[in-house]
Amino acid sequence: MLLAPSRRAGYNSAVPPVSQSIRVKVLFFGRLKEITGRGEDAIELAEASTIEQLFSQCVTRLPELARYRSSLIASRNQEFAAWDTALHSGDEVAFLPPVSGG
Amino acid sequence: MATPLHEDIYQLVREPIDMVALARHIRAPEDGATVTFDGFVRDHSQNRPTLYLDYEAYESMAVTKMREIGAQLHEKFAIHRVAMVHRLGRLEIGETSVFIAVSAAHRGAAFDACRFAIDTLKRTVPIWKKEYFEDGAVWADGELPPAPAATSRAKPAS
Repeated sequence: MLLAPSRRAGYNSAVPPVSQSIRVKVLFFGRLKEITGRGEDAIELAEASTIEQLFSQCVTRLPELARYRSSLIASRNQEFAAWDTALHSGDEVAFLPPVSGG
Repeated sequence: MATPLHEDIYQLVREPIDMVALARHIRAPEDGATVTFDGFVRDHSQNRPTLYLDYEAYESMAVTKMREIGAQLHEKFAIHRVAMVHRLGRLEIGETSVFIAVSAAHRGAAFDACRFAIDTLKRTVPIWKKEYFEDGAVWADGELPPAPAATSRAKPAS
C-alpha cells in the first residue's frame, strides 16, 4: 500500500513531478526466469505504455528474450491480458511461457 | 445444486498431497458419488527415463485460476463440492502432483466435472514443470492459454 499522501507531503513537495513515467513490477517464470537470472524486476516506463512496449524494454536489456515473444502470453494483475493493454503505475505484469502443470 | 465455493478447497502445497483427507472433506450425506483424479509423476518422457520433476507456479495467479475453474464447475455441472490441489517443488517418480476430487448426487456430473477440471487446469493455470534426465533437464512442452483479444486501442505498427 502507498503511504497516505498527508504523511509524505513534506517529501512530495520537494520531489519533481513524475507523472510522465510509471513504475511496474515484472515477473518471469520457467525458462524466462532462468534467462533473466531473477524472477522479478521493477521497470520504469512512459505513461500509457503497453505490455508490448514493456516487453520491448526488457528485450533492450536482454536481447535473448526476443525469440520467446511468440510463445508467451502476458498477464496484468494476475489476469491474462492482450499485448496492447495499457499499463498503470503499480501494475504487476508477468510473461508466461506455455503452462505445463498437472 | 448451488453450493458456496467456501466449502471447496483450492491449494498449492509443497508437501505430499493427502488424497484421503481431501476425498473425505468433499463427501457429504446428500451426495451419491465422488470422482477423483490423481495425476502423478511418470517414469519416462518421450522415451527417456525421467529422474524427477520440479514444479513452479505463479502462485497467487495459479490459485486465482484454480478458483475460477471451481466456479465454472459449479456453474456447468450439478455437483456439490470440489477439492483441487497442486504440489510444487521437487517430485519423485510416482508422487502425486495434482489431485482433483468432485462430489455430486449422481456420478455423471462428477465424472464430467472432474474431466473438465483437469483439462482446464492443464491449459490455463500458470504452473510449469522442469523434467530432469540423466543427461540434463528441460522445461516440459506446455500449452499456451487462450490469448485475450487485442483491446480496442489503436495498435502501434511494429
